[in-house]
Amino acid sequence: MIGLSLAMVAAVAAVMALTDHGPDSIVRHLYLVPTVCAALTRGAVAGGLIGALAGLLHAPVVLPSVERAGLTSQTLDGLLSLGFPALAGLLVGYLTDERRAHAARLDAILAIQRRLADPGSLQEALAEAAEALRVTLGARRVALLVGHDVQTAALASVPVGTLVDPDSAGAFTLATGQTVASRDLRDDPRFPGERGLAPSPIRGVTLPLASGAGRIGVMAVEWAGEVTRGTRAAAEDLALHVGLAVENVRLTLRQRRFTEELEEKVAAATARLRELDQAKTEFLSVVSHELRTPLTALQGFSELLLRSTLPPDKAHRCLVYLHTEACTLGRIVGELLDLSRIEAGRPLELHPERVELDALLERNVELFATEHRRHRFEWTAAGSGLALRADPDALDRMMKNLLSNAVKYSPRGGRVLVSAAPAADRPGMVEVAVEDDGVGIPADQLPRIFDKYVRVAHPDTAAARGLGLGLSLVKALAEAHGGRIEVESLPGKGSRFRLLLPGVDREF
Amino acid sequence: MLLLSAPFDPAATAPPRGPRGALAVIAGLTGLLVAGGGGWALVGPGPAGAGRAVILGAVHAGLIAVGWVLTTGTAPGWHRPVFRLGLAMVLASLAAGLVPWGPLALALMPLVLLVEASGHPRLRALGLARSRIGYAALGLAAGAFLGAHLLVTASLTFGYHVGRVGAHPYASALAYDAGANVLSAEWLFRGAVFSALWRRGGFWPAALASTALALVRYLLDPALPHAPEARAGAVFYLGLVGLTACALRAWSGSLLPGYLAGLGFFGAYRLLTP
Repeated sequence: MIGLSLAMVAAVAAVMALTDHGPDSIVRHLYLVPTVCAALTRGAVAGGLIGALAGLLHAPVVLPSVERAGLTSQTLDGLLSLGFPALAGLLVGYLTDERRAHAARLDAILAIQRRLADPGSLQEALAEAAEALRVTLGARRVALLVGHDVQTAALASVPVGTLVDPDSAGAFTLATGQTVASRDLRDDPRFPGERGLAPSPIRGVTLPLASGAGRIGVMAVEWAGEVTRGTRAAAEDLALHVGLAVENVRLTLRQRRFTEELEEKVAAATARLRELDQAKTEFLSVVSHELRTPLTALQGFSELLLRSTLPPDKAHRCLVYLHTEACTLGRIVGELLDLSRIEAGRPLELHPERVELDALLERNVELFATEHRRHRFEWTAAGSGLALRADPDALDRMMKNLLSNAVKYSPRGGRVLVSAAPAADRPGMVEVAVEDDGVGIPADQLPRIFDKYVRVAHPDTAAARGLGLGLSLVKALAEAHGGRIEVESLPGKGSRFRLLLPGVDREF
Repeated sequence: MLLLSAPFDPAATAPPRGPRGALAVIAGLTGLLVAGGGGWALVGPGPAGAGRAVILGAVHAGLIAVGWVLTTGTAPGWHRPVFRLGLAMVLASLAAGLVPWGPLALALMPLVLLVEASGHPRLRALGLARSRIGYAALGLAAGAFLGAHLLVTASLTFGYHVGRVGAHPYASALAYDAGANVLSAEWLFRGAVFSALWRRGGFWPAALASTALALVRYLLDPALPHAPEARAGAVFYLGLVGLTACALRAWSGSLLPGYLAGLGFFGAYRLLTP
């Protein structure tokens, strides 16, 4: 288009020269056509130059007439027409440049916001934004430093490979929010160091990236050569938009992370609910089975006693069976009632009193030793007269559950060791430990074994009966006493349950 | 990227600038040479034109020396290259004024200046850098166009004659422009003044100030015709040439395109005779 404009100017000049037009010829206005064309297509510089060229080419027509005729209205008109094309070219070109710069700025803002709105990673998005800024601002270098601390902030620069000095102008702007502008970075005393001047100045500016939450980074731009006020203003505008866009990205990423965490939690909760549902289903099945077994025995022995006259010794044996199964039924019903209380959030009814631990442990160990002859039960107590303040019935149920658990999970027999002693690591507490050398508990199951309905699956213990409530009841009862229960276990080596309860001198 | 990689001290201020002592020394020596040359021209023995040649050489040497000192400052030993250049300029001017092939010595002054400047990296700030061939051609074309325009306008308007200059005087004038007139103007006004002002501000203030200073230098030149239309023409055309050279210096980063523009313009101007 510049070539065409030049050709048109030359053509107008040729027409003026060949046809001997005067200084105020109407043809001179044709100079405006290539001038405005150049201004519209290439901006103020081209428009001004083509206009100046037109004026210069018109001068050999105007000036001789001025010399001949002096200042008349015609020659004055001719003189004015020397500068008019240049002025018109500059004005139209200036407006064109402004419009283009505005459009380019808007395009850049949209491109940056679009890119930052869908960040694969913030670093990549910042690098693309920096390149878009460099092109839009006609800069030599652009860097975006995003973060609150210069040492940890994310950096994207074009060209890549910029190192950040903690005492640099960028760090200063990040720390204070103040803009730093330099007309020539190599000749600025605020940037100490002997660098040698380049033929063209290196202009630079650091602008804070701000959002509603305050400073979130710095935009640094370096130009080689001339920088117009418009370009500088564009940089400030773009820094404002980049700050908001980056803040949006950070909020989006934060929201995305929050959503992902929430989804994970919902998924985990859903899985847990499924497990509980499954466990309850299994629990119902097990409860039915557990209730049916003693009921069947009760039914069978009672019918036998009703229908036939048995010898006294046989009748007595039937009554013993009936009593045992009734006790089993009672224990199951008791556990279910406790479970119901726990699930309803009602406190367990406890009647604390002084309990001599020796007698309780001895009684339970002997009871289990009698019933489970494949196991070898041992118990020790640290001195005589060890006592607790507890509900004797609840304490008895806790011991029975722990011993039952030890027996159940050492199906091939083995040693079950029960010990009682003041807790060394918790003054005022008494520790009752039940240790077996059974199948043990995998590490990943340990956090869940005190949950309701949880039974650790193991091929050797699959046939064992149980509701999966024992340990959760022990835990609830221990906590109701102000104590706690802990477990240590190694698969294949056995488990050690440690029941901690308040000593006789402590209230709960 | 200096904004991020270089240390920054917000409280630092510029050290006091202005090699006033050196400028006074240069002005004094130039004045002495000009006075000496003037005295020689008036009363001294020897060939005619020697005094004028000394004056011309001293003035252009002084302009180049000022540009040198403004750019490099007065580090120890600053005077040696400056005095060498000044001596070379005066001798070349004398040779041009006295010997038939003497203008050749003047034409070689740009090379002498480049060789002397090559050992001083700070002089790169003047624009001592390579230029793209396009910028160089653009400079030559712009200068030639303005010169041609001057010829047409002056001949049509004032009846000046074109081309009635002998080959030797024309070549001598061209050598003077290449080795002294245009060289010292580009070196000082575009190289030192414009570059320094541009570095501290925008293009237009720097270009207008340096061009105004260059115009003052030309208007004070006794060799310029004293006719009003000639002075008005000088202001117009040298203003355009000066602004064009500033633009070329800024775009290209080199003094060469502006220097070629000046040569192109004066190459045409030397064809003009009243």
